[in-house]
Amino acid sequence: MTIQSNPILSVQDLQVTFGRGKKAVQAVAGISFDIYPGETLGLVGESGCGKSTTGRAIMQIEKPSGGHVKLGDIDLISTAPKEARRLRTRLQMIFQDPISSLNPRRKVRDIVAEPLDYWKVVTGDERAARVDDLLRKVGIDPTVFGHRYARQFSGGQCQRISIARALAMNPEVLICDEVVSALDVSVQAQILNLLEDLKAEYGLSLLFIAHDLAVVKNIADRVAVMYLGKIVEIGSSDALYESPHHPYTDLLLSAVVDIDPSKKHERKVLQGEPPSPSNPPSGCRFRTRCPFATELCASAEPEMSEIAPGRFVACHYPLNFTK
Amino acid sequence: MNSPLLVVSNLHTTFETPRGLLPAVRGVSFSVAENQTVGIVGESGSGKTVLARTIMGLQPIRGVKLSGSVLLNGNEIVNRPHDELRHLWGSEVAMIFQDPMTSLNPVRRIGDQIAESLQVGIGLKRKEARARALELLVQVGIPSPEDRFNAYPSQLSGGMRQRVVIASALSCNPKLVLADEPTTGLDVTIQAQILDLLDQLKIERKMSTILVTHDLGVVATRTDHIYVMYAGRIVESLPTADLHAHHRHPYTAALLNSTPRIENKSHTRLTAIPGSPPNLLKPLTGCAFAARCSFATDLCRNQTPELRNDGGASEFACFNPVGVNA
Repeated sequence: MTIQSNPILSVQDLQVTFGRGKKAVQAVAGISFDIYPGETLGLVGESGCGKSTTGRAIMQIEKPSGGHVKLGDIDLISTAPKEARRLRTRLQMIFQDPISSLNPRRKVRDIVAEPLDYWKVVTGDERAARVDDLLRKVGIDPTVFGHRYARQFSGGQCQRISIARALAMNPEVLICDEVVSALDVSVQAQILNLLEDLKAEYGLSLLFIAHDLAVVKNIADRVAVMYLGKIVEIGSSDALYESPHHPYTDLLLSAVVDIDPSKKHERKVLQGEPPSPSNPPSGCRFRTRCPFATELCASAEPEMSEIAPGRFVACHYPLNFTK
Repeated sequence: MNSPLLVVSNLHTTFETPRGLLPAVRGVSFSVAENQTVGIVGESGSGKTVLARTIMGLQPIRGVKLSGSVLLNGNEIVNRPHDELRHLWGSEVAMIFQDPMTSLNPVRRIGDQIAESLQVGIGLKRKEARARALELLVQVGIPSPEDRFNAYPSQLSGGMRQRVVIASALSCNPKLVLADEPTTGLDVTIQAQILDLLDQLKIERKMSTILVTHDLGVVATRTDHIYVMYAGRIVESLPTADLHAHHRHPYTAALLNSTPRIENKSHTRLTAIPGSPPNLLKPLTGCAFAARCSFATDLCRNQTPELRNDGGASEFACFNPVGVNA
């Protein structure tokens, strides 16, 4: 997709630190990216790399320890809390576990109406009509299911209800944190298709956080790869999967197995496990597992640089690239 | 070839629930040969885990009705009390469970947990058992095993814990290993490491393996033969090499089509399977997949198809199979 307009959401040097003093863990160590109107940005990485914390920090569920989250021209972090709260309705988030993110003892209609009630957007008949319309949009028949309790639904249906609730305030950006990873493949496909449809209908922009690289490939326009609190590579999803520039992206992609065994690609195994974010390696954070690491990688942290239009990579020795 | 290591015939597992009888496994038959790796694939609720636990003989006596037969190396498992099966666990058959946190005791050191299975399972003395346990930790690739021997499970990562579970399961040299979703919840990179480890150990020890998973990618690359389960039955049985191009059951086809592929272009629309699996508490007539199947006819809704073969490599339980016989 062509990048023509101003970003709708701009994350600049975002940092999140848990704990303080010697025990401090920098879960997100200064990351920057933009999301443009109508775009889906995928954020991938192994567990513990800080991708969920990034989503939560954008929503201000975790308080960032530094950086900026700009919604249009307004910086959410420096805005007064009360005003920021109102602005945040333009951002909505859907979580991984669909069942625990809904109150099991409330009726479906009330769950979806909650944001409308809190902000007193609509009342009475208009409220009921709006709620039923939202439920229909996500494929849940309000006349049959509207008065049922959340506990009576399956995981896939609960995720549909979560999506309806997230759409109630007409958000501009939807942050999806592992929204399909708890679902079976057949239901996963239903939810991914639903997100694509709603995105087109409402003109949404998505930050799609997931560990499943195949899922992200199918839904994202651009993909950012995170490792140990930093973004190592960003690019359009087709180009990034086709020729990864960062060795980590390359190894991550080669670990994905395909359902067609005849498509056996060269398997490169990523050895070991990520180091602890409480004590990250000097220089490049990936150097302890990188097959190409040199002394330079230990002494100097690679800067993020644009090595091709729209392709950013933070590596001293990018792959598939000649200067 | 000798008689297969495991023969399951017409196995039924039915749970007595407050809301009535729940037939979770409804007449499953298959066999596993020596050194063979078979995959059992299905969605949640398809009965794959119940099947694995029944083969292990882990179902409780009360509240569960079992019928049919599970012959493991000549030993009948079905409807035998746990006391009579205990000598088989560990040395004949062992199970690797999905969640490595809950299958380890959180307040015991991992070395002691592995040593215990050696003391109980093959009667080693404490000192020998500890030495073997350390060897096993080396074999499953735990870095600095001497230090980790005295670690508690909470001090290890998910991947390391699963390695410990594997070490413990393999401690008494079982002939058959049942791995129930051994890599679900692990990162792709760690998943590849664990599956490589299982492959390598299987070859070294000449084991047979049953890999139970919902992940088609895992079975497609790591098994010899695949059984696809739906609503408590095997709906298709085929050699792994034929999964992609020569599957015959519409459910297998639908599963493959709804799986996101890494080579798809951005914004590829997936073919979702409409609806959800049937509620097994209610009596079923006809094919269990008929309500979600785009090829279903009246015959499918009234009569249950049995597994059959029309000359190809696949056996399928379907009246209107997809694809042509190759």
